[in-house]
Amino acid sequence: MTTLERAQLQTHAQPRARFFAWLPQRWYVHVFLWASCLFIGFPLFYAMLVSTQNNAQVFAYRFLPGESFLDNWRIVMIQRNLASYMLNSTVVALAVTTGKTVLSLLAGLAFVYFRFPGKWLVFGFVLITLMMPTEILILALYNFVTSLGWGNTYTALIVPFLASATGTFLFRQHFSNIPAELSEAAQLDGASPLQFLFRVLVPMSWNTIGALAVIQFVYVWNMYIWPVLIIQGQERQVVQVGLRTLIGGDAALVFGPMMLGAVIASIPPVIVFVLLQKQFMSGFALGRDK
Amino acid sequence: MSATTPVLITTLAALIGAGLMALTFQRMARPAGVGAVVGALGGALGAQVFMLPLEYCTFASAKTIDHVIGLALVGVGMALLLWPANWIVERLRGGWRGLLIGDTQAGAFRGWLTPALLLAPTLIILLLFLYYPSLDTLWLSTRSSILGIPGTFGVCVDNFTALLNDASYLKALGNTAFITVAVVVFSMALALLIATAAYQPIKGARIYRTLLIWPYAISPVVAGVIFLLMFNPTGGIINYLLRQVGISGIRWLNDPTFAPWVVIFASVWKSLGFNILFYIAGLQNIPKDLLEAASIDGANAIQRFFRVTFPLLSPITFFLLITNTTYAVFETFGTIDYLTPGGGPLQSTETLMYRVYRVGIQNNDLGNGAAQSIILFLMVIALTVIQFRSTGRRVNYGA
Amino acid sequence: MKNKLFLLVCLLAFVLVAVTPALAQDKIQIKMWIAFTDNRLDWTKDKAARFGELFPQYEVIVEGYPNYEQLFSATALAAGNDALPSIVQYFEVATQNARDSGYFKSIADAIGDRTEINGVAVALDDIIDPTTAYYTLDGKFTSMPWNTSSSIMFSNMNILKAAGVDTPPATWAEMEAVCEKVMALDNAPEYCFTWPNHGWFFEQWLAQQNQEYANNGNGRDARATSVNIASDAAVALLTWLKDMSNKGYLYYSGARDGASWGTVDQAFQSQQVAMAIYSSSDTALYTETGKQNGYEVVASFLPYNQDAEGGWTGNLIGGASLWLVDELAPEVEEGALTWLLWFNNTENAAEWHQVTGYLPIRKSSVELLNTPDWYAAIEAMGPSTVWLNNTLVQESKGKVWFEANPNFRVASDQLANSKITPATRGAILGNFPAIRSIVTTAIDTVLLTPDANIPEILAKAQENANASLTQYNTLVQRALGQQ
Repeated sequence: MTTLERAQLQTHAQPRARFFAWLPQRWYVHVFLWASCLFIGFPLFYAMLVSTQNNAQVFAYRFLPGESFLDNWRIVMIQRNLASYMLNSTVVALAVTTGKTVLSLLAGLAFVYFRFPGKWLVFGFVLITLMMPTEILILALYNFVTSLGWGNTYTALIVPFLASATGTFLFRQHFSNIPAELSEAAQLDGASPLQFLFRVLVPMSWNTIGALAVIQFVYVWNMYIWPVLIIQGQERQVVQVGLRTLIGGDAALVFGPMMLGAVIASIPPVIVFVLLQKQFMSGFALGRDK
Repeated sequence: MSATTPVLITTLAALIGAGLMALTFQRMARPAGVGAVVGALGGALGAQVFMLPLEYCTFASAKTIDHVIGLALVGVGMALLLWPANWIVERLRGGWRGLLIGDTQAGAFRGWLTPALLLAPTLIILLLFLYYPSLDTLWLSTRSSILGIPGTFGVCVDNFTALLNDASYLKALGNTAFITVAVVVFSMALALLIATAAYQPIKGARIYRTLLIWPYAISPVVAGVIFLLMFNPTGGIINYLLRQVGISGIRWLNDPTFAPWVVIFASVWKSLGFNILFYIAGLQNIPKDLLEAASIDGANAIQRFFRVTFPLLSPITFFLLITNTTYAVFETFGTIDYLTPGGGPLQSTETLMYRVYRVGIQNNDLGNGAAQSIILFLMVIALTVIQFRSTGRRVNYGA
Repeated sequence: MKNKLFLLVCLLAFVLVAVTPALAQDKIQIKMWIAFTDNRLDWTKDKAARFGELFPQYEVIVEGYPNYEQLFSATALAAGNDALPSIVQYFEVATQNARDSGYFKSIADAIGDRTEINGVAVALDDIIDPTTAYYTLDGKFTSMPWNTSSSIMFSNMNILKAAGVDTPPATWAEMEAVCEKVMALDNAPEYCFTWPNHGWFFEQWLAQQNQEYANNGNGRDARATSVNIASDAAVALLTWLKDMSNKGYLYYSGARDGASWGTVDQAFQSQQVAMAIYSSSDTALYTETGKQNGYEVVASFLPYNQDAEGGWTGNLIGGASLWLVDELAPEVEEGALTWLLWFNNTENAAEWHQVTGYLPIRKSSVELLNTPDWYAAIEAMGPSTVWLNNTLVQESKGKVWFEANPNFRVASDQLANSKITPATRGAILGNFPAIRSIVTTAIDTVLLTPDANIPEILAKAQENANASLTQYNTLVQRALGQQ
């Protein structure tokens, strides 16, 4: 909590004669926020309930956990092998997140701390790609990546996503705000650019790195259409596509395993996001305690 | 088409280019003659950008529309060369160094090899996996190509003219506009409302925030799966709850009126957390003294919100407008594919992105899919430019 | 922050190391992709495990896709990705694409003149006639038949009997009469009947009226160059469906193609409808679910148009066959052939029929099921847990299967009574999956648009379908130089 927030709390905490003294301060805000949290939380909460039920219990609209959790778990994890999809998603998401962060750091360093001819041109070249969502290009990207012989490999899921205009842009902004004296001092000490990056810049950039990591992790974990095209078979498929095997298109829906799969598939990105929430906000220069 | 058509078109393009550049040069107080030469060269070459790969096929066609598209392509090709030429000339006023160096910063490292090495991975990947596929999509859009059957052949601009006559393509266009606007408006308005409550320093603010923003990390696919459960006509909880208040029998996903709303609802739910997060941050950044000053002036809470808070939030609103539009156009794909596979009853949830997939991959028509991609691409570019021009200027960066 | 990130990375790294499986492999792997993710996948996996016990040199890996349409595009994509398995299950309408694509090898060519492979008998002449008729191209088997079905109707007899109807309706007119009675019940279901908006049923109803779907003998005399989906037969069908829908008898779920099946299951099983037009593939599921929930399910022929010229001609088959991927390593191809033949041997074909409702595709399987000895024979082959847990199977032990379970012979009878004409052999044409989706979209438009002009919508669909077919044929001719 910042000083300002604390000061405001204190103002509000001053004793006042109130009729509804038993109500918390500004109770209507709390009521509204609780309602919002419930509204937002309900779908996932309900999905979690259903993940422990069988179809009969789902159709009976029981708002209590059922007894079928273990059965559903067996279907999801053993029969449909969701663990292997989860593993693939983890490998891909980690690789892309790490690679993208490193490449963006390097590019940011080049754009801010170097003078070289045609810099604006190169920066424009990177920036324009913000207008080229991969989704539009998938048909041609599929043709190209398969012609490289990368079809059905992790490489196809990782390499095309390693460069990032967003990341480069973010680090460029962040580095530009770092006082120039630092780089001058580093040069006087005879530090090489890479030493400067890893000893000076990176320790000052954890928030930005965290923010980028969250975005990229969530983006890659949630990727759907590209894996559908480039990966076939279970061996290297990611979990977002793997969920399809829980929704038999050719049979009646069995909701329990479907919801269990959806919940399990959501755990890693939600945890990463909630844990790095603060970094996410300050990395985007959003928090004021930056 | 006679053999002279290319010559004719090229000459025409050269003349127009020469005229335009001569005028531009004159306005910038440079020799108009040089401008005419640059323009003639740029115009003549620009005409070839699309026409050479297409072998001037649009002018060989019997259809008027093909000729129109051909002329448009010549125009675009010319613009592609003349616009940068014009820009370079403008920058040349600062001498050749101004053209090459650009912005500088004190204390920067020197040399070109190190930055080249630092940038190489990023540039190579962007070149190979974004620029090249973009060009390849363009090429593919002029071919007849079926997934699973080897080989292709050229069909000029037939894939594009086929789209113009395709009522279901126009329907998908309308769906995309409808779903996008609804998702963006509802998600951002609701987020702003919740954020105005959640940013205030109250007890348990951190817990509230965490409970409000986590759906950002949920995937569009999972949003689709969960809403499939809730809105299922037979066992869905929503119909059960509605029955308690006397409404029954709405077949959400099977009714062309309601199906897009389920997609919208699921997408709003999924994107709400992200918008709340950014609005909370934006609201916290608003200087309290401005609000206090307004309240001393006698403005009530609602007036304060619209006169002070909202204008000061415009950079965040602008940023969210772009990210939410991108999300609604491209990433709702997964939600739609799980909620209403195939694009819904009466094609009511088929967006442009979904159609690219359905035609290109499911129906194996890669050429048509690529043509759709190109049109989508043009729309993204147009939208970006419009957004930057209209909103970008009015955005209040003072906060 | 730094610590948190570090911790996170450590945690994930640990998960990676802990879960990474050992990759030791000394068996010959045979990969098979099928379009099922329900108990049909479980059954196939059990069979693969049993095969591994009998032939320890091989390991059959079965992977499931949610439906035929998805598996079809996944296979086309996989061909580009160099990711094809050894065997792919292709639905019947993908036959022309499968032949043109060049990534499959004809089963007959792979078998050659051998009569047994690894001790498993070939005996392709034992395959039942309708299946042989469909999958014989250029005079030989191109793929291994597996799941053959026909379109039939399931009726909830509790509802029908309550309405005073003792036997399910056989024609469209009877259907309407029955529906009138059913919907007049005090506790009437929400709708009278439903059906999956899947191209296959359109094809069935055309075949019943002896209407060919495509030219050149339904694409069997020569490559089909145009389709005929706006014919009078088609108009009659859509007019009837629209009429039933307007009267509130027909429930159309709004789901099309591969996604449509599940919605019909759901409506019938929750007794929202009295009758469901469906595939015989789920006879076991429908019959068993009815028994469990206390209503009697009776299967009957697909209702036909009583006004059609020549009445009822017959029905065509459906389902899918198993295609052998070309250019496999010789030992893999040998293993794949062994598996395909064993998987479809007399006992396994009988077991597959019992747990699903697909036709027993071997004449010897039909004979076996006409005796009370089937239980012992299947048990000796090593049955799947799906079979062991199937209540119908267990209750019928010691009885003649078809006598104890009349629902299971409906599909065979329907095909046996069918006249073999070009129309009932089924169409073979390029881009058929895409054309099917044009048809189902047209039906969707007809049913969901008030005052739909049926001939106009069908004419437009025909135009689109012909454009799609022409594009396909032109490409195949120009790019592959084929006729």
